Amino acid sequence: MPALEYYIILSIILFLIGLFGFLSRRNLIVILISIEIMLNGLIVLFAAISHFTKDISGYIIVFFIIAMAAAEAAIGLSLVVLIYKRLRTVYSDEITNFKG
Amino acid sequence: MNWDLIIFYYLAIVMIFSSVFAIFSKHPVYTVLLVLVMIIHQAFLLLTLGAEFLTVVQIIVYAGAVLVLFLFVVYLINLRKETKKSIFIRNVSLIGIAFLLFGGLLIKNLLILLSLKPSFKAYLPFTIKEKSNVWWIANYLFKNYLLQFEIIGVILLVAILGAVFLIRKVKTVE
Repeated sequence: MPALEYYIILSIILFLIGLFGFLSRRNLIVILISIEIMLNGLIVLFAAISHFTKDISGYIIVFFIIAMAAAEAAIGLSLVVLIYKRLRTVYSDEITNFKG
Repeated sequence: MNWDLIIFYYLAIVMIFSSVFAIFSKHPVYTVLLVLVMIIHQAFLLLTLGAEFLTVVQIIVYAGAVLVLFLFVVYLINLRKETKKSIFIRNVSLIGIAFLLFGGLLIKNLLILLSLKPSFKAYLPFTIKEKSNVWWIANYLFKNYLLQFEIIGVILLVAILGAVFLIRKVKTVE
């Protein structure tokens, strides 16, 4: 069984990959998927800590994170469809309606 | 042969490379399918951590519901004419500053955490428990975390109603 540090390093690498995608991509759908990748890094972290401390609370938090991710994906994708219907684009640098 | 370490390395390498290719791929369909690969491997990582219930929940909710939702939206929005342009935004310096700031903070905290040398002992997942994982999760979820469980139910209900309301309003306007 690998030590706890391996899981922490894996979760931070996944979080940084998701953060890079969130900051740098243009497509709004890929930005939402990057948020999912960041949440998956958090899931690895909480499950590993819960396993290594023999406390079941981390598993409960993982359960809540999965439910929150489902709600967030539903709301975010409905907003993306709404933006596409109004503005005919899903690229974040072409939505310039609020620029003065 | 240390099979636990080999399985962990396989799962971690596949997860990291599939998410990197998902971020750098040009078409959103490839992104969604690579994230599906990552999520299935992460479900088996949760299985090696002794959480069978969360493995099943992860496969059902993420791979079965959320990514299918993403795929439907990718199919709904026609992006074929604009895949020629760059996939990243132009303002690279701002991204670099924000990413280095946040990533530097995370890595600094990681170094502090690793210098503490945590003394947690590793347990094999199938030898420590006298009851099953589902029994423990249900016991905690319905005794200690009952209020949070109700709140997450209300949040899911509000999310469903909000999604339907947002889409429906546009149809009436048009």
